[in-house]
Amino acid sequence: MTSELNKKKRKAILIFILPGLVLLGVFIILPFFMSFGLSFTNQRILSRLPTQFVGLRNYERLFKDDQFLIGLKNNMIFALIVVPVQTILALGMALVVNKNLKGVKIFRTAYFMPTVTTMVVVSVVWSFMYNPQGIINNFMQAITFGKWETIDFLKNSSWAFPAIMLMSIWQGAGFQMLIFLAGLQEIPKMLYEASTIDGANKWKQFFYITLPQLRNTTTFVLISTTILSLRLFDQIKIMTNGGPNDSTYTVILHLYNSGFTKQKVGYASAMTVVFFVIVLIISIIQRLLLREQREV
Amino acid sequence: MSKKRSLKRSKIIDKTVGYILLTILALFFLFPLIYMVTTSLNPDESDIVSKMGSIEAFIPTDVSLKNYFGDSSAEDADLTENKGVTGRMNFGRFMFNSIFIVSCTVVAGLIVNSMLAFGLARFSFKGRALLVSLIVALMIIPFEAIAIPLLWLVNIFNWLDSYHVQIIPFIANPFYIFLFYQFFIQFPKALEEAAIIDGASWFKIYWKVALPLSKPILSSVAILHFLTQWGFFLWPLMVTRGEEYRPLPVAMQQFFGQYPRDWGDIMAFASMMTIPVLILFIILQGQFVNSVKSSGIK
Amino acid sequence: MKKVLFTVVLLIAFSMVFAAAVEIDMWFHSGRGAERNVIQDQVKRFNEMQDLIHVNAVVLPEGSYNEQVQAAAYANDLPDLLDLDGPYMTNYAWAGFLRPLNDYMSEELKSDLLPSIIKQGTYKDKIYALGTFDSGLAIWGNKKYLEEIGARIPASVEDAWTREEFMQILADLKGLPEIDYPIDMMFSDVGEWYPYGFSPIFQAFGADLINREDFMSADGVLNGPEAVEAGEWFQSLIEDEYVNISPPNDAALLEGKAGLAWTGHWYYNSAKDALGEDLVLIPMPKLGSPDSLYGGQATGSGSWCWGITSTSGHPYAAWTFLRFILRPEEIVKMSNANGAVPSRKSASMLSELYKEGGPLSLYVDQASLISVERPVTPAYPIISLEFIKAIQDISNGGDVKDSLDNAVEEIDWDIEDNSGYPMD
Repeated sequence: MTSELNKKKRKAILIFILPGLVLLGVFIILPFFMSFGLSFTNQRILSRLPTQFVGLRNYERLFKDDQFLIGLKNNMIFALIVVPVQTILALGMALVVNKNLKGVKIFRTAYFMPTVTTMVVVSVVWSFMYNPQGIINNFMQAITFGKWETIDFLKNSSWAFPAIMLMSIWQGAGFQMLIFLAGLQEIPKMLYEASTIDGANKWKQFFYITLPQLRNTTTFVLISTTILSLRLFDQIKIMTNGGPNDSTYTVILHLYNSGFTKQKVGYASAMTVVFFVIVLIISIIQRLLLREQREV
Repeated sequence: MSKKRSLKRSKIIDKTVGYILLTILALFFLFPLIYMVTTSLNPDESDIVSKMGSIEAFIPTDVSLKNYFGDSSAEDADLTENKGVTGRMNFGRFMFNSIFIVSCTVVAGLIVNSMLAFGLARFSFKGRALLVSLIVALMIIPFEAIAIPLLWLVNIFNWLDSYHVQIIPFIANPFYIFLFYQFFIQFPKALEEAAIIDGASWFKIYWKVALPLSKPILSSVAILHFLTQWGFFLWPLMVTRGEEYRPLPVAMQQFFGQYPRDWGDIMAFASMMTIPVLILFIILQGQFVNSVKSSGIK
Repeated sequence: MKKVLFTVVLLIAFSMVFAAAVEIDMWFHSGRGAERNVIQDQVKRFNEMQDLIHVNAVVLPEGSYNEQVQAAAYANDLPDLLDLDGPYMTNYAWAGFLRPLNDYMSEELKSDLLPSIIKQGTYKDKIYALGTFDSGLAIWGNKKYLEEIGARIPASVEDAWTREEFMQILADLKGLPEIDYPIDMMFSDVGEWYPYGFSPIFQAFGADLINREDFMSADGVLNGPEAVEAGEWFQSLIEDEYVNISPPNDAALLEGKAGLAWTGHWYYNSAKDALGEDLVLIPMPKLGSPDSLYGGQATGSGSWCWGITSTSGHPYAAWTFLRFILRPEEIVKMSNANGAVPSRKSASMLSELYKEGGPLSLYVDQASLISVERPVTPAYPIISLEFIKAIQDISNGGDVKDSLDNAVEEIDWDIEDNSGYPMD
């Protein structure tokens, strides 16, 4: 009887997990292992030379490659700034939208609109706005009564990256707001009612009820935003192509330039492997930190 | 009495502050998009550029759909500049391709990803924890990193220049699997125990119990998956050739060759490209949050 | 005898009725509207005028054309015939994707083609690609402004502005109230425009993209003292606000906001519409010393050209179509549409724009006197990418020597990695 149930269960498990696993295996895991293999060769996209085994040469070069290191540094800066800012903004928006106000649904849709707009489109529109003659410069001039000096945002080494960060936050915050909103609505109303009777004010409620109750949601938002910001590519490619003077250069852009434009498939593969390991370590650390807090 | 009044007053202030905040945020989030739409409605290219920095950009003097559908009555209706997006390219075809490819991917993805997540979340078996960690690790691999081996692979399968080459590799996605997993793992054990005693099969539990309870996560994943695929550029570039299977983001590259850059047409294209996602979102948005309350999970 | 003839006629008739036409796949970049229309029209007429060959033309978006062709080559999925942006041809030829055209070409055709077209298509003594047009790079000017500041308008290539004169003119133009930036150098464009439009500056100063003796290194050439001087001069144009590096569009000259435009032949039609009689074509200035590598004055050349792939099952049919669009009257049709230099001398004579004394004949003179083709080497994609990056950095105020050193290092590294791109 139990063995038959087990048999049935085993069959069920297979039916549930097999399609997904096969697809993951063929289209992500297999190519990744191919990348791993290629990382020890000098393969190029187009070449009349045979592909050769070059041992660890690609890896040795990678750690001496300034562009790669600059990209890595920029990715880290981006994540360190964008992840907290975007998360706090999204939480704030979720709190406002969660209020029982008329027409709040319309506002919610408005905040989500940028997320709905494809990055390619968003990048083009913002490039137009960041132009020296564009609307942002003129707006700044208007509110500073002409004291603002025109800035060529995307061609200025100190402004280009912040400009891209602002746009990325603008584009991404709406989605996280929705995740937070879902989390907020799951918090039992009872908790708030009880604390009001105890005389807790709004701030206390926020820190002692809302935040702890949102812990899972926050963990999820933090981890997913970190991973996404380490993958930064589309907006960079369209808006600055890594410039000026490498101030917006990222790892994935370097990967793209090396693997496609320069056709160095072997070298790009080595970069894939190293980048994977680095992000994996970051995620593990992040998980450990967040889990520890949970157990306190 | 006065206490009640001041309470009422503070409520009014609260509401006012709330609305002001809401409006400021809305302006911040909407103005680039409004800018896109108003620019697309301006038929005069030099007017667009001369106004690009001023508030006038939001108030086109001359509203027209020329950038969208062209102006057949214009003197030089044959000039590319006057043809509009639909006259310049086979826009309808590209729109259909995009919608078809992305819808297939998302629908298949919802089923496959949620099933895998359900299997991982609701069964205990050897290697389960390992599989979960593996899927989390897979989330990290960026597509750009495996694009070339993947191209080599689909070429062996002889899949180039087709719809399925743009669909099948993107159905299973570790990120969405993880989202579903997080959701399913919260279900109380009692849920399926009751169903099993009733003699329901696992598939029935998944289909009749788990999925209906998962509307919010289904909608979130659907939107997210849709968005990602909708803007997908690198892969279709590598695997499509002619117009037959070309999706919108690749078609958009037609504007980014050489001279002249036609901002009006670009913005018209961008506006049209945004519409389907917007519709989908408006349909699904209620599901995101509201059904959480009625789902009975809490 | 009669019987034989009868059989032959029958056979021909038979084959014409029953044999399906040979299908030729062809790709080309979407390009400018007028250019695309001419090619599409040529395909249509070619398909209608005979039944033996049918050309299936596919237009690919220009913004990502090179990437798309590269991916297709990797997957061994190229069409029979395709167009390539001039210097990129060599990489495909070296990797074995293109078929030499020498055997198909008649002596008459060879001698009628512009030398620059032959040069751009020739790699290791074999011709791999032919264009129906060549490009022209010079300066378009607004006569009204130039007369206002009393500038001399050069009549010929030899008569071009010197560097001092050029700088004086820019300074004077800057003084005019209507003008924001005196010269538009088309920073609204990206990618291949940079090496095409700006490497002639380096060549005029006596530098180059690579050492052309053996194409093995860029060291000392792209980062030597001449190159640094060129880069610093270029940077000074931007620092002095003579050039706008973030123009909202490419119409500053047309809208009267600039006095000059440093750009190619493709600008002609719209400039003519906007400025009419005020439009003048000015040769590239003499920026460097007369005894430097290229004599102190240089312009770009080369443009999109057609190649037949080595995987093509019907190379002769593809050639038949190529020969059709290389007919002088077809070349003139294209040249009238896009303003480009006709690739055959006999076609130039038929062209209103390019016949002697025509409004664009200066391009032909420049081509024979001061044009420097972008290096014909399989390393060109890297050279281009690194030069683009160096120009971006220099124009954004980066250190000139450092930027060029970086480019040289990457280029030399690539050549070394490919064992010097050997053909055997």
